Amino acid sequence: MSMMATSRAPQRLSRRAWLVQTTLVPLVLIGIWEVWAILAADPRAPAPTRVVESLIDLVVHGGLIMATLQSLGRVVSGFALALVIGVVLGILMGSIRWVRNLLDPIVESFRPIAPMAILPVAILWFGTGTPAALSIVSYAAFFPLLLNTVHGVSQVDRKLVLAARTMGVPRWRILTNVVLPASLPSILLGSRLAMGVAWTAIIAAELGVGAKSGGGGSGGIGAMMFIFYAYNIDLNAIVVCMIVVGVVALLIDRLFRLAERRLMPWRN
Amino acid sequence: MVNGNGTPKLRLQDVSKEFIAPRTGQLTTAATGVNLEIQNGEFICVVGPSGCGKSTVLNLIAGLDNPTTGKIEANGAPILGPGADRGVMFQDYALMPWQTVYDNIGFGLRYGTPGDGLSSNEREGRIRHFIDLVGLNGSEKKYPHQLSGGMRQRVALARLLANGPDILLMDEPLGALDAQTRLILQVELLRIWGETGAREQRKTAIFITHDIEEAVFLGDRVVVMSTHPGRVKAVIDIDLPRPRTEHIRANPRFGQLADQIWGLIRDEAYRAIDG
Repeated sequence: MSMMATSRAPQRLSRRAWLVQTTLVPLVLIGIWEVWAILAADPRAPAPTRVVESLIDLVVHGGLIMATLQSLGRVVSGFALALVIGVVLGILMGSIRWVRNLLDPIVESFRPIAPMAILPVAILWFGTGTPAALSIVSYAAFFPLLLNTVHGVSQVDRKLVLAARTMGVPRWRILTNVVLPASLPSILLGSRLAMGVAWTAIIAAELGVGAKSGGGGSGGIGAMMFIFYAYNIDLNAIVVCMIVVGVVALLIDRLFRLAERRLMPWRN
Repeated sequence: MVNGNGTPKLRLQDVSKEFIAPRTGQLTTAATGVNLEIQNGEFICVVGPSGCGKSTVLNLIAGLDNPTTGKIEANGAPILGPGADRGVMFQDYALMPWQTVYDNIGFGLRYGTPGDGLSSNEREGRIRHFIDLVGLNGSEKKYPHQLSGGMRQRVALARLLANGPDILLMDEPLGALDAQTRLILQVELLRIWGETGAREQRKTAIFITHDIEEAVFLGDRVVVMSTHPGRVKAVIDIDLPRPRTEHIRANPRFGQLADQIWGLIRDEAYRAIDG
């Protein structure tokens, strides 16, 4: 018992120290911000307390949760589309040389074009609703997925493929049961990156689509921000949206890290 | 060493393999003029300095590569590609890192032709049997990275045997192990191969090694290969009694045979060191 107590005590102390060290700077900054807002004496100036009020108001009356879910829904469906296309194409490009030779030039010429740069085309083709936002999200998520899958497939230990062949495993089974699991670490890394850029892209896309449609139509948290910026000029609400965007991005990242650990128990 | 009944298990006739070196683009002869006849149930060891084409020959028999010239037949039929009748144990084991010991041993039974027509119960029974045979009880749920080299080697051996191949092809399977583990596994390998049983029940085995004593200890015959280009220099009959135990190393005949083989490759081995 006493051994356990002595071995645990330092750990608890250091955890408390860690908590203080990591929260001190943000807390001080928030304090300074609050004081500055009071001194500014402008009721529209954003302040931590007003941001919290605005958050409660937006959750209760402003449809913040619905808007966030709408954006998330677009990200998830756009990501799913990119996942299927990116992984299938990636496996083919990674394992069959002529497919790679055929597609590599196209991929490399589109890759530097930022998702936002295709927004005008997306609006012209798909209008200002969900399809336009979705296409931009898919486009953004596609490249990290494809490139990481290709990388993963080309890194697969050739011995494993040969071993499977000597066990009479048919070619398509080798793709699904050797190449795919062997490149899973890269595919999951690509997924995490893709989900990150997809979330960034949806906010930008909704902002842009919102601008075009005059605040109506598209919906989502990006459009909501645009309304607060262009019509209501509500800085507190904009800060609330920013925080929500950040928190959601963090949650997505954590979720994918958790999934990586769950899906790859052989990696520690 | 020839047994009475007609066709040999494996026949290599004037086999050669040339390839273009990926870096230099030069045409290289990995093996040339290889002639071998291997009978059913024989344990054949192949030794030779690095670069003598031992692994090339093994890959050709496995069907992972095609010979440039010559013919290779198994049971009288030409080898056209890889097949589960010729199981391979790779130098670094080639275990699937995302699968447990149990799933690795069952890989061929699950996804390959060896599992054709087996019910899931039969499959499980077979996996269990080989887990017992190689002594991996209690480690079924571990992943390869959690195992020692010796245990990985056992997994690879169990996987090889679970697929029920006719011919065992082993490419320096004990090469990565420490000396003590190696000696223990040599004895175990002979037991699993069926040394104590009837000759007809043994598998045909081809075992590549760079260790002369290992070759003498395990083999019915030792094929000595030489480099530049890779070819068969001699085939030595190992007339030591079976079953063999550690004590056979004290037998004067053991030393004679090892010495004879060393005599065949020592010049080249020295030349390899001098560059």
